[in-house]
Amino acid sequence: MSAATVAPAPPRTRPGPAPQRPGRRGVALLPTAALVLGAVYCIVPTLWILIAATKSPAHLFSTATYLPSLDDGLVRNIRELSAYHGGIFWRWMANSFLYACVGGVLASAISAAAGYALAKYEFAGRKALFNVILAGVLLPQIVLAIPQYLLLSHVGLTDSYAGVILPQLFNPYGIYLCRIYAAAAVDDSLLEAGRIDGAGELRLFRSVGLRLMVPGLITVFLLQFIVIWNNFLLPFVMIADDSKFPLTVGLYSLLRHGAAEASLYSLVITGTLLSVLPVIALFLSLQRYWNIDLVTGAVR
Amino acid sequence: MNIPFRTPLLAGVLAAALALSAGCSGDKDTPGPSGSAGGKVELTFWDWDPNMDKIVALWNNAHPDIHVTVSNPAGGDQLVAKMITAHQAKNGPDIAKVEYQSLPALVSNGVVRDITEYTKQAVTNFDAATLSATTFEGKVYGIPQDVAPLMLFYRTDIFQQYGLAVPATWEQYAQEAATLHQKAPNVSMTNFDAADPGWFTGLVQQAGADWWTASGTTWKVDINGQASKKVAGYWEGLVKNGTVLKNPSFSPQWNKQMNDGSIATWISGAWAPAQLGGIAPETKGKWAAAPLPAWTAGDKTTGIWGGSAVTVTADSAHPAQAAQFVSWLNADDTAVAAQVENINVYPASTSGRSLPILQKPPAFLPNQPDFYTVVKSVAPSARSFSIWGPNVTVTFRGYTDAFGAALQNGGSFGAALDTIQESTTADMKKLGFKVG
Amino acid sequence: MRTPPTRRRRRSALPYFLVLPATLLFALFIVAPGAYAVLLSLQRRKVSGGLLGAGSEVVWAGLDNYRQVLADRELLSSVLRMLAVGAVTIPVTIGLALLFALLLDTARARFTRAARLLIFLPYAVPGVIASLLWGFMYLPATSPIGGDHVDYFGPTGVYGSVANIVVWGAVGFNTVVIYTALRALPPEIYEAARLDGSSELQIALRIKVPLVLPAITMCTLFTVLASAQLFNEPNTLKPLSNAISSTWVPLMKVYTDAFVTSDIYSAAATSVVLAVVALLVSFAAARVVQARIAGDER
Repeated sequence: MSAATVAPAPPRTRPGPAPQRPGRRGVALLPTAALVLGAVYCIVPTLWILIAATKSPAHLFSTATYLPSLDDGLVRNIRELSAYHGGIFWRWMANSFLYACVGGVLASAISAAAGYALAKYEFAGRKALFNVILAGVLLPQIVLAIPQYLLLSHVGLTDSYAGVILPQLFNPYGIYLCRIYAAAAVDDSLLEAGRIDGAGELRLFRSVGLRLMVPGLITVFLLQFIVIWNNFLLPFVMIADDSKFPLTVGLYSLLRHGAAEASLYSLVITGTLLSVLPVIALFLSLQRYWNIDLVTGAVR
Repeated sequence: MNIPFRTPLLAGVLAAALALSAGCSGDKDTPGPSGSAGGKVELTFWDWDPNMDKIVALWNNAHPDIHVTVSNPAGGDQLVAKMITAHQAKNGPDIAKVEYQSLPALVSNGVVRDITEYTKQAVTNFDAATLSATTFEGKVYGIPQDVAPLMLFYRTDIFQQYGLAVPATWEQYAQEAATLHQKAPNVSMTNFDAADPGWFTGLVQQAGADWWTASGTTWKVDINGQASKKVAGYWEGLVKNGTVLKNPSFSPQWNKQMNDGSIATWISGAWAPAQLGGIAPETKGKWAAAPLPAWTAGDKTTGIWGGSAVTVTADSAHPAQAAQFVSWLNADDTAVAAQVENINVYPASTSGRSLPILQKPPAFLPNQPDFYTVVKSVAPSARSFSIWGPNVTVTFRGYTDAFGAALQNGGSFGAALDTIQESTTADMKKLGFKVG
Repeated sequence: MRTPPTRRRRRSALPYFLVLPATLLFALFIVAPGAYAVLLSLQRRKVSGGLLGAGSEVVWAGLDNYRQVLADRELLSSVLRMLAVGAVTIPVTIGLALLFALLLDTARARFTRAARLLIFLPYAVPGVIASLLWGFMYLPATSPIGGDHVDYFGPTGVYGSVANIVVWGAVGFNTVVIYTALRALPPEIYEAARLDGSSELQIALRIKVPLVLPAITMCTLFTVLASAQLFNEPNTLKPLSNAISSTWVPLMKVYTDAFVTSDIYSAAATSVVLAVVALLVSFAAARVVQARIAGDER
């Protein structure tokens, strides 16, 4: 559970070494200051979205950058965004959820199965398979996007939800992490004990392996969710029907209008703000699971 | 921040869920009636006009047996590549909006269809100059939607404040630019946009350049000819003496400059009033349109920036019905009037240009009641290239790269034209076109 | 190494069954499109018939596309620009991530929970959107960070501007990876050092850093791979400034060929060349990394 809070173990107030830290007993100033600086660096553009989202289109480029507009500009922007093309923005939001949730869950399951097999079994071609899978990281999506589109069009899956989800189910990083995690979290002796009790391999995987891997799988899911949520190029290539767009492609299309309509910067900015919120919420709610060591798979 | 935020967000999430479920059930409904009605034809239409769905709704109400669905997969330039890819996969739309300069490339790729036989009636509503943009070797490949003669849009308040006269010639334009720069160093006459070539090609068209000409099946490419070099040299002078800004248009930077009065004129197509509302909402009523300055006083010739045709694709299973819709959309006065009202197009059809709706000025230019009269007076003397090349995307990419580099590094504009000429010719030869 | 003898005796079909979905997807969505890209790279479009060549067809091009790619000096320049950006982003990303992770792990630092979230936050912003946001920050007219005095799109400035967006987006993820590795270390191992009177700084440098080296190596590998695929940031900044051309980095050339000028055959040839180079380089790198990680696991 909340290992992060438990982690600073109690035996820190022993008589021990006092010489180094007499004055700054409570707070380490320098590290705290550095952290605050780092946080500021990371938050500044995000803060800018928050402030810019409160401005009406007329004020967006004419008022001081870091001065939020207080005359309910945000509400108006959200209302306008919701009204745009019959509320298509919320449709994009729902689509993004669909792509990221379905894709994330399936990709995690597939990675878990593969990672567990690669970590816990010796079978022909194991090493070669693992290396080839890792090499998959090397091919950039831009290279694959058009061939993927042309191939999927042969089976009529372009411009469909499946066309966006299927190519994202194979995730080399996920398999890599699951392999490491299964190696560390699933104890061989537990599996052996199960075998002696006569349990089948499949049952061992389901009731011992998967169960022990759950915290790691949540991490894999979270990472995959974000990757799909943020993916732009694949849906951009695959989808022609704007009612199937995810948020990234939808917001981009608002930015790049043809000669008939100026770019809708205020709507894009407001949409960006709203699109970041679900990911933050997800991160916050799953944060307590985020305590495994991604490299060795050790859990605390 | 928390409290006012939560309610709309929650409402939004609920609305999204509702919209999605409504959308899903809608999807299920659509094939239903079409199946039962038997003869009903379903057509998809790729278009990036913001209110095109309203015009299509008019059609769908009047034609229960031919149902058109609009989709907006990408903006104008990106839609071309998307159409070519979709054509390779044989799943393009039935109907698509195409900018004039992209049409030859799409014909060359076999994406759009020859609709001569279906449009014999519709084409009578267009003059020869307009129709030449969609007719190649005697075959009609699309029905023109709008035309956009290049004009000079200027800020009346800035011109008044600094005592500038509306320039009738380019020489005067440069003089006023210098005067303005001297009186108000923070205000510039305009900016030289290296990102979008549309305005520059309009300017060289006015100067008499023909980047592409065809005789028989042989092409002649003349991007770095005398007329083009004259235009390039003129603008290089304005950029170098600091009276014209160097940053690209259609960026947040430019929006701010247009909004706060850092830019005094915009050389743009007749569609500009529709755009200005989004670009510079605070300047309503402060702009006016004048004919483009001339190279020799009294010459009314201008160029063209933008304008589109609506086409039927080679992949469409229902070309006759698709062509029927396209003809209605751009040649029928009811449809054209609806487009003027909702999309702010300046119609391509002859009768469309005399519509009563064009008697009142566009909403963003209430100060210029004769706006459409001015447009109508310059439209007949607008000239394009005799034909757009079959690989305009390569040329345009060359423009962005070469002029961007020239502006960034202070290079020569004429040399930039040489670069574009070279890359365009090389690509055409590689594709197998005969280049003379 | 970790292969107990009991495992080999039990012949089970399960492992094959478990890797089947991943293998199948790999074959369908990586191998097949990859092979298709190779096929495309050997073809080209040839027009014939009439002025517009409406009778255009796809013909075999042999190695023509490759010859063109290899003769293209602009491609070489774009590779150099990519390396220049990478030379900044890789050390800065890893350095900052390690610094933040160590700071978060410092016993008496404050605001760590909030800081951890805020540092991770940029990872939740899609690359296209992040680049646009920073674009607003850089442009003189809208800049809150002195864009009217500093030229963020100058001849050298543009490298820093692009690198900054990359670092901003990548630091959070890497910080979390290194931080979780730090949290996994048993606290007892610091006690001896504390008793010896070592400062927090000394503990961090002498004990923590060597112990999380595998995590740092993995992060470096990911960051190197990502920097070779640099695309979103410059491509989104392109329309905002004259400083970035359509071939600024190699993948922008691929993108422009494929998605703007619709020459998928050249795009495929460039991709194949890039992928082969990347494969060779990463193969060497991965061997080193794997040896390290394997060593650590033992």
